[in-house]
Amino acid sequence: MTRIIVTTSGKGGVGKTTTTANLGMALARLGRKVALVDADFGLRNLDLLLGLENRIVYTALEVLAGECRLEQALVKDKREPGLVLLPAAQNRNKEAVSPDQIQELVSALTDLYDYIVIDCPAGIEMGFKNAIAGAKEALIVTTPEIAAVRDADRVVGLLEAQGIKNIHLIVNRLRPTMVQVNDMMSVQDVQEILAIPLIGVVPEDERVIVSTNRGEPLVLAESPSLAGKAFDNIARRLEGQTVEFIDLYPTPDNFLSRLRKLLSSII
Amino acid sequence: MNSDFILPDTVSPIALPANEVNSNSQVRFKSEEGRLMLILPAEAAPPSTSSWSDIWQQLKQRLNGGDRFWQPNTTVDLIASDRLLDGRQLQAIADALAEVQLLLKRVSTSRRQTAVAAATAGYSVEQTYVAPNQTLTSSSVPLAEPLYLQMTVRSGIEIRHSGTVIVLGDLNPGGIVVANGDILIWGRLRGVAHAGADGNSKCLIMALHMEPTQLRIADYVARAPTTQLTQVYPEIAHVTPEGIRISIAADFSKSQFLSQP
Ligand SMILES: Nc1ncnc2c1ncn2[C@@H]1O[C@H](COP(=O)(O)OP(=O)(O)OP(=O)(O)O)[C@@H](O)[C@H]1O
Ligand SMILES: [Mg+2]
Repeated sequence: MTRIIVTTSGKGGVGKTTTTANLGMALARLGRKVALVDADFGLRNLDLLLGLENRIVYTALEVLAGECRLEQALVKDKREPGLVLLPAAQNRNKEAVSPDQIQELVSALTDLYDYIVIDCPAGIEMGFKNAIAGAKEALIVTTPEIAAVRDADRVVGLLEAQGIKNIHLIVNRLRPTMVQVNDMMSVQDVQEILAIPLIGVVPEDERVIVSTNRGEPLVLAESPSLAGKAFDNIARRLEGQTVEFIDLYPTPDNFLSRLRKLLSSII
Repeated sequence: MNSDFILPDTVSPIALPANEVNSNSQVRFKSEEGRLMLILPAEAAPPSTSSWSDIWQQLKQRLNGGDRFWQPNTTVDLIASDRLLDGRQLQAIADALAEVQLLLKRVSTSRRQTAVAAATAGYSVEQTYVAPNQTLTSSSVPLAEPLYLQMTVRSGIEIRHSGTVIVLGDLNPGGIVVANGDILIWGRLRGVAHAGADGNSKCLIMALHMEPTQLRIADYVARAPTTQLTQVYPEIAHVTPEGIRISIAADFSKSQFLSQP
């Protein structure tokens, strides 16, 4: 059965698109067929993060207008044959499409792919309603900040009201050293408010920015990074694997912690 | 024993936004003499702000939180009063009920169009008539029965009820509960709670974990302390001559009983 997942947050700039790109790539590397749908009409950038912007010929809008077939609009990734992107139109705004139309696109993709991951725009207006229209599950991305968590909470309520109950939490841009000195909310603080199951914690990592600029999702990098590993772990958890959470906290160097580190690097 | 966790605002009572809570302002379930009724808020009665999407959202919330309380295949009477419902909306309600194994059977309405839509869809219809002047002053309205919710009151959700509200779950920052009676949060209270909203300052706000953004009882307002609490007890907020005070729940009931003659 196709898993239809929307990546959403409420607040802007917390890492939805980064998450969608990396998860799509990681799932494809696990041998899954994945379609990424950019639902951020007017401010698309999923194509950039995937390094596919120069291969877009048609967008979802042309498909809906009947000007091309769906297969023609899908951009295939050269690195991972299992991955395709359905680009959003850049020259239109979010009112250019309706929830019914997105649902139509998603249904057309269903059964052809194992995963359909929809990148949602910020906010809770039309663009949000469009993005969640066809989804069966949601990934809530938040940073450990009060405003982001508040917006995420609002979005969880709206998703629940829409009947989307399979919701998982990703805490992005965590800075363990700041948490330790009480300058940042901990993952536990975030979870306590949102009351939804955690599927991943991604640390703040400069290499996210480098990978964004190169159009190469972190999970592809040859030298492993913590953030890349974290995204890869999320993909595995989506697959149903039990993957231990990475220990992000620099603990005093005792025997136990070294052992734990050794073990987690093996896993 | 009163603790000084929360200080009353210096200007008290302050002008609050209109907070009349209409007795029908929430979607709710009620069972009476073996029949389960789904009651929709009236459209005509003020505040008539609840749109179909509000109704729909509330219905989903009730269904999410209430499934422990009814047997599978229970039939439901929809009390739609003066609300205009088309065939598609009736179908949506029936589908949502069916998801938790409830069967929509009967529709009671005062609107001809709704009655027609319901009859067309094959439900038995009861047409009712509304008295021309339905608006009662709030003082003459007795408290509605308690509204029991099993849910997280998340940011952006506002619960209004003309009786007591009981929440089995958290009241999150950005969430609001307004009740004409008491408010009992069996969880963390971090949002805004307004008890006795129609003026009854004897009403109480109770929570297992009291960390409110703001508390209001009748016309009194109190803000949360800025210091972090180290120990957490179930607490009760109540009005004293000095404003809103918070007491440890275990001590509160004792002091209340002792002060009774
Ligand atoms: N873990 C991380 N470490 C460092 N930088 C990050 C991390 N995650 C995201 N960023 C950066 O944050 C910025 C916003 O990320 P992204 O575009 O994925 O957010 P978004 O939620 O999709 O934004 P929008 O709401 O505008 O669509 C980007 O510059 C990205 O590189
Ligand atoms: Mg984005």
